[in-house]
Amino acid sequence: MLVKVLSASISGLATIGVDVEVNVASRGLPAFEVVGLPSKTVDESKERVKTAIVNSNIEFPARRIIVNLAPGDVPKQGSFYDLPIAVGILAAVIQFKIPKNSLFFGELSLDGTLRHTKGALLLALFAKEKGLKRIFVPRSCANEAAVIEGVDVYPIDSLNQLIGYFLEHIDIKTAKVSQVNKKIPIVQPEFDMAEILGQEQAKRAMEIAAAGGHNLFMCGSPGSGKTMLARALQGILPMLIGGEQLGVTKIYSAAGRIPPEGSLIKIRPFRSPHHTISQVGLIGGGSRPQPGEVSLAHRGILFLDEFNEFPRSVLEALRQPAEDGWVSISRSKERVRYPCEFMLIASANPCPCGYLHHPKKPCACTQREIEKYRKKVSGPILDRIDLHVDVPAVDIKEFSGNEQLKTNLETSEQIQKRVVLARKLQQERFAKEDVYTNSEMKNSHIKKYCILSKEVKQLLRRAGVAFQLSARSYFKMIKVSRTIADLEGAQEINASHMAESLQYRPKAQIKDL
Amino acid sequence: MKNIITIEDPEYPKLLREIPFPPERIYYKGNWEASIFKNCLAVVGSRRMTSYGRQITTKLVSEIANAGITIVSGFMYGIDATAHKAAVDAGGRTIAVMPCGIDMVHPPHQESLYNEILENNGLIVSEFEENHPPVIWTYPQRNRIVAGLSIAAMVAEAGERSGSLITAHLARKYERKLFVIPGPLTSKNSQGIMQLIKEGASIVAGSKDILEVYNLESLSPAEPSLNLPAFNELEQAILEELQREPMKIDSLSRFTQKSVSEVGTAVSLMQLKGLLAEEDGKYYINTGGGNVS
Repeated sequence: MLVKVLSASISGLATIGVDVEVNVASRGLPAFEVVGLPSKTVDESKERVKTAIVNSNIEFPARRIIVNLAPGDVPKQGSFYDLPIAVGILAAVIQFKIPKNSLFFGELSLDGTLRHTKGALLLALFAKEKGLKRIFVPRSCANEAAVIEGVDVYPIDSLNQLIGYFLEHIDIKTAKVSQVNKKIPIVQPEFDMAEILGQEQAKRAMEIAAAGGHNLFMCGSPGSGKTMLARALQGILPMLIGGEQLGVTKIYSAAGRIPPEGSLIKIRPFRSPHHTISQVGLIGGGSRPQPGEVSLAHRGILFLDEFNEFPRSVLEALRQPAEDGWVSISRSKERVRYPCEFMLIASANPCPCGYLHHPKKPCACTQREIEKYRKKVSGPILDRIDLHVDVPAVDIKEFSGNEQLKTNLETSEQIQKRVVLARKLQQERFAKEDVYTNSEMKNSHIKKYCILSKEVKQLLRRAGVAFQLSARSYFKMIKVSRTIADLEGAQEINASHMAESLQYRPKAQIKDL
Repeated sequence: MKNIITIEDPEYPKLLREIPFPPERIYYKGNWEASIFKNCLAVVGSRRMTSYGRQITTKLVSEIANAGITIVSGFMYGIDATAHKAAVDAGGRTIAVMPCGIDMVHPPHQESLYNEILENNGLIVSEFEENHPPVIWTYPQRNRIVAGLSIAAMVAEAGERSGSLITAHLARKYERKLFVIPGPLTSKNSQGIMQLIKEGASIVAGSKDILEVYNLESLSPAEPSLNLPAFNELEQAILEELQREPMKIDSLSRFTQKSVSEVGTAVSLMQLKGLLAEEDGKYYINTGGGNVS
């Protein structure tokens, strides 16, 4: 007898439909084969399915069973074909009817229960696109799949429960995203801006970066608070909005990074890979391309601490993704494209020992070592960073005896409010454009939305000569001043906005003399 | 053609001849004129210069060089290079005594300074020939020429075991006048200076102290008053704070009780007006020598 069960195949973030055809022959020697380009994981599902059926107290048919995953020329991977294969065999043996327009997804445990499986959201999305009504998923994936409205998500615990549903019509309650939303607590970032003493200018730079989505480069001695600042940045960014949430969750679903019971991701991701990371780890890749750190930081923060220590080749690979907002990874078996709109926050020490310009500790580096150290970061990468800020060591003594300085610090929440307002202005401004934030503006946008008065132009020209700004820096200053104006709620960029933005110009990396 | 002066030549600097073991031969680049050796001041100091060191050296040396005194130093990076540069910028003359053969530029990244010295009637001199590499013993040996050429020596920033102390001790041995620029007691770069003061070195409080030794008057105009009426309140407050010591934006914002945004704006504008200069993240009042226009 032949049974057809619907499932799908995942490649990157894309899905295509797969028919799981199960034939339990009435003649022939007993066998169990899977065809249709199964990978090792899919092939192993034979053993899992067989044992799970037996352990569910159902006799496994001693007949010739052929499973075909059609279309036959697309490679299949992933452990989620367990459930559709098992359902196909059971339907043939116990003789029940599978309701039309149903999709099955999930990995089996040997005892017949279902395990957490990656990619549920992508399958649900596929179901919706194809107009399918029902999707059966492991219970721990139900919250994730339920994000997609218009498809009934059936959380399944075990094979027996499923048989009960089909044979005796024992009802299974579908998962609803509205109930899920209430359950999930909002994760607070590790640090609040109010916990950081001093560093007023760096905090201001963080605020500007958050408001305009600008990349930021911090330079300072060890222990001055660079990492704390970067982590606190997460708390002043606005929450992910509608489409952004789905976009981020898709990547995490594909990477199998949504925990059991997890659902939509609402807070902006914060990724801080160590500097020993490989190019594939950062950009993504593998023979079956997986998303890299740049994609996991989509719509969030990619924090590269000890920027100068990253291998040059890895940093160079960052250029195109940082510019375009997506990476295309091509391997012999597969070509996938992952989005990666991230904010780059980089930090570095001023010299190899870290104590150059430190008020207390002497620097042990020679001029040559310092130059060599600074030259490690390529110019083109630094050129893509809008805001440059020094994070000097804080002298705690400056604060002792002045309690006001310690207590009157702004909290992340207060700063976030201003950031949200500034972002709203940008949304209105770019409603008809394909950019979201000031940092993404191209030259044509700058001409249109950043009209400078004569006075401001004059100021910028003067600064260009005095501070030796490159043509690219010139445009960066305009973008940053646009964000500063937005933070103030101002329509036009005035001289003060421009003057402040000059504070964040790239400092000369190597001073002659 | 090789430019060599030997100890027998009448052009050989008189002062240098007085020291024990004067160099037999001096290789040089540039114009050898007797006048350049008339009033020489050795300016030496730490390689690990602080921004204070750079500021004060630039200020004093430009005033001194402007008055017609030749600045002699060792062409090392740090205070040495700053002194050469300040002298050149002020339109004065300067002599760089190299620790290596005359055909080399060491440290190589200072080649532009090397050329500037020559273009401004300065001299590059060395007792080592051709491509003699700079090695551990050539540095102290070079120092005796720096001290020997000069009527007086001025030390700015020296750590406990700084090479500039060698020059200072040589200057004393040759009975030349020894001056030091005082620095903050908290700085490592002041330890050598304090040692020299204890041993009897004179303190420089201004360029006048040096010029008196040479019986010269200051040529540079009096420092412009900073309290011009055109400044707004915040600018005035910032200038007042910076008169005490150079500061970061963060500290300025704390002392003036204004937001970093306001202070940052004001400081950028003041920098463009040429009122302030920045170094290593700290701002200080621009006392001339700055090139921001």
